[in-house]
Amino acid sequence: MGLILPYLATLMVFFFIYNIFTWGLNIQFGYAGVLDFTFITFVACGAYFAGVFALGPGSKQTGFEWILGLNWPFPIALLAGAAAAGILGLIIGLIAINRLRSDYMAIVTLAAGTVIYGLVSNFTPLFDGFDGLAGLTQPFSQILPLNSNQFTYLWVLVSGVVMVVCWFIAQRILNSPLGRTMRATRDDQDAADTFGKDTVRVRLIAMSMGAVLAGVGGALLMGFIGAFSPAGWTSGETFVVFAAMIVGGTGNNWGGVVGSFVVAVLINEATRYIPPIQADPTLIPTVRNMLIGASLIVVLWVRPQGIIPEARRRLYQLPLRPGKPPAAEVESA
Amino acid sequence: MPDTDALLQVEHLSHSFGGFKAVDDCSFDIARGSISALIGPNGAGKSTVVGLIGGALRNQSGSIHFDGHDISRMAAFKVARLGLLRTYQVSREFGRLTVMENLLVPPPNQKGENLLNVLFRPSVGRGEDRMLVDRAVEVLETFGLLSLRDEYAANLSGGEKRLLELARAVMAQPKFMLLDEPMAGINPALIARLDSHIRRLRDELGITFLLVEHNLDVVERICDRVVVMAFGRTLAEGRMSELRQNPEVVRAYLGGGLDERAAG
Repeated sequence: MGLILPYLATLMVFFFIYNIFTWGLNIQFGYAGVLDFTFITFVACGAYFAGVFALGPGSKQTGFEWILGLNWPFPIALLAGAAAAGILGLIIGLIAINRLRSDYMAIVTLAAGTVIYGLVSNFTPLFDGFDGLAGLTQPFSQILPLNSNQFTYLWVLVSGVVMVVCWFIAQRILNSPLGRTMRATRDDQDAADTFGKDTVRVRLIAMSMGAVLAGVGGALLMGFIGAFSPAGWTSGETFVVFAAMIVGGTGNNWGGVVGSFVVAVLINEATRYIPPIQADPTLIPTVRNMLIGASLIVVLWVRPQGIIPEARRRLYQLPLRPGKPPAAEVESA
Repeated sequence: MPDTDALLQVEHLSHSFGGFKAVDDCSFDIARGSISALIGPNGAGKSTVVGLIGGALRNQSGSIHFDGHDISRMAAFKVARLGLLRTYQVSREFGRLTVMENLLVPPPNQKGENLLNVLFRPSVGRGEDRMLVDRAVEVLETFGLLSLRDEYAANLSGGEKRLLELARAVMAQPKFMLLDEPMAGINPALIARLDSHIRRLRDELGITFLLVEHNLDVVERICDRVVVMAFGRTLAEGRMSELRQNPEVVRAYLGGGLDERAAG
């Protein structure tokens, strides 16, 4: 009992954070059709910036060096991380979306992510290079001194509240005329253009808002673990989020919840708690990746629209106008 | 003779793909409130002209004026915002949107497309949508598509997609519609319905039409004026009945290109 609860709480935190990730990627890909192969870079951007806003100043002497180091309260650091990720999303979007489409666009995002990865892991004055940020004290520890289990429970609450806010952001975009234009752009960008829709702008908004959610999730991760380094955001992580989104179903946010539960919690995180096998310590991570790949293949084969498909919108049920006989409806021919 | 009542003026338009001159010094005017046709044999450059007018291609020389604006090198969405709306040779519906949603995309300047409204005042978009839905219901009714309103556009038949394209375009309240082969691949009964819709839209809403069309019977039936293109330039203009007597036009259609190559 003493172990089960913190274990479940930890899984819960990862589940909540992964929900935010899948919704963010869904805004980009599921709503607007922007193929972002470097989603994890925005997560990292949020984590790093939240980190350097919340951490104290680094210095070259101690061997821990990073920019800023403002000692600001965590909620502000989280917002800063989200904003930084949103801006980075806009910048990469401007490079990738302005002139390119589909696969070409995706390759540019991947390339941009690789450049950033190389820069961050090698240029130590930025975020301490490959060692990464570390030593973040528990957020809120001045008001609430907690032991590590209690802190985990607190973080279930914090990430839960933040997740609910993100849910409303994602849902409001999806159910708005803006979301409709995003989906139209996804289905046929040229046709949306010919109706006077600035499709580049629409896609940039999707890219940036998706990156904001990625940054929020990254900041929550930073606050929870207290450290973040390049080992945590290799490009493969992007595809875990992709797998979660596709398995769950794109174009709707409940699909993201199901997908992040199946892929990110059941398969990805839960297997981390299986005790390592002495003879082959790399076996479990390998099996995990195989399971994620297999789940993706099975879903694409059996149910390509995902476990929860995009909902058909019947927001417009008749009778809309009083006094109009329904017979007019049968006219068709 | 620049026609002051011309809604669209194409002057000395030229465009090459690599070394191939697809359009070569093409000029014509389209009168406001008319239904005109652009015809010509395959390879005459009609589709390139459509692409240039609609902004899908940036023209290399010559000019295009629409309703007093120079749209020569304007991006497609900006051209559309001036009220010039084009369709494509194949239907380009938004497949994973319902028929009703397809009609709600085109109306310009929707407040619900503003991110701040979306996040902080979602009621703005909802209120606006209610009015748009009312309009869309009327439009769908006139096109006989109302019973399909909740169907995914991708699931419609070819003919229904053509009707949907026209219905969707009406929602944008354009001044000018450029239809690229609207009758291609649809049955005669539906052709009759489509051309009556086109005439009705011209008469009721004052929309000017330019059709790129291969079906000359349709052209003769509904078009006031016809522009014939061949080898990238304007060959003749006039009423279809006159053009049928024009030896140059007949030759262009009945293998004039072959004759010329044989002669050259």
